[in-house]
Amino acid sequence: MFCMFILGKGEGHLKDLTIRINGTKRSASSGETVLNLLDGSPDQIPHVCYHPSLGPIETCDTCIVKVNGEFVRACSTTVNDGDDIDTNSDEVREAQVIGMDRILFNHELYCTVCDYNNGGCEVHNTVKEMKINHQSIPFEHKPYEVDNSNPFYRYDPDQCILCGRCVEACQDVQVTETLTIDWERERPRVIWDKDVPINESSCVSCGHCSTVCPCNAMMEKGMEGETGYMTGINRETLRPMIEITKGVETGYGSVLAISDMEAAMREQRIKKTKTVCTYCGVGCSFDVWTKGREILKVDPQIDAPANGISTCIKGKFGWDFVNSEERLTKPLIREGDVFREATWDEAYNLIASKFTEIKEKNGAQALTFISSSKCTNEESYLMQKLARSVIGTNNIDNCSRYCQTPATMGLFRTVGHGGDSGSIKDIEKSELVIVIGSNTSESHPVLATRVKRSHKLHNQKLIVADLRKHEMAERADLFIQPRAGSDLVWLSAVTKYILDEGLADHDFLQNHVNGLDDFRENLEKFTLKYAERVTGLSGDILIQLAKTISQSKSVCVLWAMGVTQHTGGSDTSTAISNLLLVTGNYGREGVGSYPLRGHNNVQGASDFGSMPDRFPSYEKVADIKVREKYENAWGVKIPEDPGLNNHEMVQGIHDGHVKAMYLKGEDMGIVDSNINHVHAAYEKLDFFVVQDLFLTRTAQFADVVLPASPSLEKEGTFTNTERRIQRLYQVLEPLGDSKPDWEIIRDIANRLGAGWDYKHPSDIMEEAAQLAPLFAGVSYERLEGYKSLQWPVAEDGTDTPILFKDGFPFEDKKARLFPVNWTEPVEFGEEYDIHVNNGRLLEHFHEGNMTYQSEGITSKTPNTFLEISPELAEDRGIKDGTLVRLSSPYGNVKVHCLITDRVKGKEVYLPMNDSGEAAINLLTSSYSDKDTDTPAYKETSAKLEILMEEGVNPLPKTNFRYGNPQPQVGVNVKKKWARKDYIFPGDAVKKERNQHG
Amino acid sequence: MAKAIKNVRKQTLSAEEKRSNDLREVEDALIQNKTAILQTLEIMNHMNEKGILPLLNGLFGQGDKVMDIAVKAMDKPENTNTLKNLLLLLGTLGMINVKQLEPFLLKIDAGIARVAEYKDTDEKTSYFDLVRSLKDPEINKAVTILMQFLKGMGQETEHYEKTTGDTPEKRANQSKEKTLE
Repeated sequence: MFCMFILGKGEGHLKDLTIRINGTKRSASSGETVLNLLDGSPDQIPHVCYHPSLGPIETCDTCIVKVNGEFVRACSTTVNDGDDIDTNSDEVREAQVIGMDRILFNHELYCTVCDYNNGGCEVHNTVKEMKINHQSIPFEHKPYEVDNSNPFYRYDPDQCILCGRCVEACQDVQVTETLTIDWERERPRVIWDKDVPINESSCVSCGHCSTVCPCNAMMEKGMEGETGYMTGINRETLRPMIEITKGVETGYGSVLAISDMEAAMREQRIKKTKTVCTYCGVGCSFDVWTKGREILKVDPQIDAPANGISTCIKGKFGWDFVNSEERLTKPLIREGDVFREATWDEAYNLIASKFTEIKEKNGAQALTFISSSKCTNEESYLMQKLARSVIGTNNIDNCSRYCQTPATMGLFRTVGHGGDSGSIKDIEKSELVIVIGSNTSESHPVLATRVKRSHKLHNQKLIVADLRKHEMAERADLFIQPRAGSDLVWLSAVTKYILDEGLADHDFLQNHVNGLDDFRENLEKFTLKYAERVTGLSGDILIQLAKTISQSKSVCVLWAMGVTQHTGGSDTSTAISNLLLVTGNYGREGVGSYPLRGHNNVQGASDFGSMPDRFPSYEKVADIKVREKYENAWGVKIPEDPGLNNHEMVQGIHDGHVKAMYLKGEDMGIVDSNINHVHAAYEKLDFFVVQDLFLTRTAQFADVVLPASPSLEKEGTFTNTERRIQRLYQVLEPLGDSKPDWEIIRDIANRLGAGWDYKHPSDIMEEAAQLAPLFAGVSYERLEGYKSLQWPVAEDGTDTPILFKDGFPFEDKKARLFPVNWTEPVEFGEEYDIHVNNGRLLEHFHEGNMTYQSEGITSKTPNTFLEISPELAEDRGIKDGTLVRLSSPYGNVKVHCLITDRVKGKEVYLPMNDSGEAAINLLTSSYSDKDTDTPAYKETSAKLEILMEEGVNPLPKTNFRYGNPQPQVGVNVKKKWARKDYIFPGDAVKKERNQHG
Repeated sequence: MAKAIKNVRKQTLSAEEKRSNDLREVEDALIQNKTAILQTLEIMNHMNEKGILPLLNGLFGQGDKVMDIAVKAMDKPENTNTLKNLLLLLGTLGMINVKQLEPFLLKIDAGIARVAEYKDTDEKTSYFDLVRSLKDPEINKAVTILMQFLKGMGQETEHYEKTTGDTPEKRANQSKEKTLE
């Protein structure tokens, strides 16, 4: 199958060249490589190391052709006008066979008993296509053991053909820079860092290497002994079996024929299903390989629109939770101090009668609904429909209230659409990327790889503003550390400087933007001096920022919780958008604002109406025309007043007017701020329904707990951070009696007399598309397989990868500069002298309900830890492992310390992956963004006491954070070519011909 | 006041309930597959008479050992054709999951042992006896297993039959063209 990837075949390019292939005239495009030109044509040539997502690696020497009489590698040779290409002369074939022979010297063909023999093995397929029957250089074992140390994948040097794909992917796609090939040994091999076992290296277990490996050398452990009918065989029997296959004198023919047959049989029991990852807003999609309920591997595809071949540790290896024994499999009903397993009928009847009773007694406004940004668009739509049309309340919100609503607000104010301006590809292309308050390489790992790659290879400039020196900061050309919560001030000062110095994009301002005068007037106070004082940044740095931004032809700003989770979160988001407007960075390729959505469906949960003041498509509840549209469609009356948001719901319980809550797919009792306050509210509810995979902290307060099915067990759509709607297909049957959320909501609505007739999520999408203008052309047919749509989607199915190309969605098509002022961050008082920064870790998702179910992840990161600066450690006498208590006015946590220079001074970092004594939200307050009520998680201070000086280091030595990456570009093939025993196959052929000739 | 709780009282079925559920399931399946089941019983009978069942039992019951011996025997310089044929055979053997088969065969063995004890009896089994005997958990289990086996056996497998089209003539032609497919 060496011809399976046919990409970049000059699509869209002018066929401006005339060349000859084996004597026949053909046209070609400038810039095209010989390999791409030939691929898919009758003259196609073999290749092994080339991968369309990695480009030419030039290690395998199997794609050799003759161009104008010279032997060259087709993968790295671009065509020129008049070229004469020879792909099939005996000489060329001979050279190619030499390349393949050298591969087989490194790789034993025991296909039938190989777990990688699933039709996609490129070594197998190339041997077959090249009709190689014998091997002139016999296979020889390498003097290295298999490295099984990593929990997720293993490396078998003996099977490694040294093609370098894994190295290329690690160095230049994922850009963790762990893998290299040591070309200098007698038998080269892949090494990790400075040649340490995989598990002791800087490897982040993203899985790129095993994804791109063309054979069984780098393989997911889930595949081992599982895929083949005979691969689980005893090692002792296996060896003679391999010897037999080698001993067959007729050559590889029959071996390959049998293994092909066996590979075809495997398809009977191995199912490959496309799904969309549920771990963050990047929206990676991939095939999941399953055998029964067992997940063999996650297989990303080149066609995946957001991620291509990329994944992170969670998406590639973090699915054990699906088969966890802790999953809820039956509805639970509270009886005194125990939950009793019940039938769905019982649970539904209880919910229907309680909802009805409370509605009759206290009115519809006493009921509240919280939708999940982990659930599908269809489920968000149904949840808001349940609240609005069946119960009669707008008290519906979703958990993006905890993260991204301020960003949406900032964009609504200025540019009119609450979503990323373009695609990840635009970020990749941009000349300057600014990352503010985002630990991108851990929170949005795959998106970060695109920035890291462009920065490493394509001269992209990178500016990072953060408190903490995380990986993106380490890589940045300019890393600034403004005081916590002061981003609005430096952003405004830089904007003012740009306007004052005439560095703004005046044409853009004149033609596309309103409100400049008022905006300028409000900026007056943001002088450099003022900004220096508030942010702690020097005037020179501010000027450098202004100049760099205004001089760059394209700028993208990426931001996340470091901006939004503040009392002025919406205003800072607005300031970012203002700066982009002033510099003309909207409405074209490679520019714009990118609030990085945290959960897989943060975007979609709000898009599809789970908001107290907005219907699907962000149409306002207060708008009578919109309300009428829904009233007509649903045949009910909808209340005109916006409902309560999450924050107001909790307050409403305390105040006594909220009596019931139905919450799905979010451990709000851990992830909301000031959780002691939230728990106290739960205790006061008359009736509480929680729908989740596990008996979460939140569910423990419920009266009825409903077992839901995760993404792998249902169909639907998610919308990623690029506004990209993607379909997920059902990989597994729902576990036990659990059900997809949409079915549960439908059934509850029907118990309340709704008469809903949805048989499949596509029915729900069809209804939503008819009502919500942004999704007018969305349909399941248009989203089949790896197809996707970026909203707004017109009725004819035309989508919008780049927003604002034809103006902004306001009446005069002009954007609006929106004046904002700085809100000083909350001060807890002098005694709380430690600033507690908080957020995610790469390997755990949120509180860890799902990711702690993975043994591998838990072995590498068993619990949370408190990052302490060397200065603070020295000052307080803290060591790695010291147990401390942090206390804020709202609660306290107990946690072990880790000393690191990622933080400085009295700034500490507490990752959020704990739902016990170290849960960050025991410390956070109920202060929130003044415009959206998003909790100000990042404005948290505490005092620190040492509880136990000596303790175990909370971060095991097998964690990647201790590793020593070895950056280099690609696989360094020149070192291979410089080896004494290396002869370019073309030269070898020439030499031989001369000798005989 | 609803305090957080973690205790879950699992729904437990009494042994009697579970049994009656299982029985109903088997009965349903029996009725749905009446003809196939009766035929299977007949086949099993023939297989037993011809001594095929004990043979299979020996082969698969000791699957790993047999495989090991076979493989080691083959791992000697032999003539190519024999090896090729053996390899083809192995490919087919690979379809059988020995681990899965072992318990099945042990059960058949036990069945045969029982038949051996009663081989001289003149007892006749009526239709009613047959249905009644389903209440016997051992028979019930056996019938359940058999039905699964039948289901698998009836599956469409033709597309796997790669060897069917592989005639010596074709192969001769192929090798002339150096084609391996």
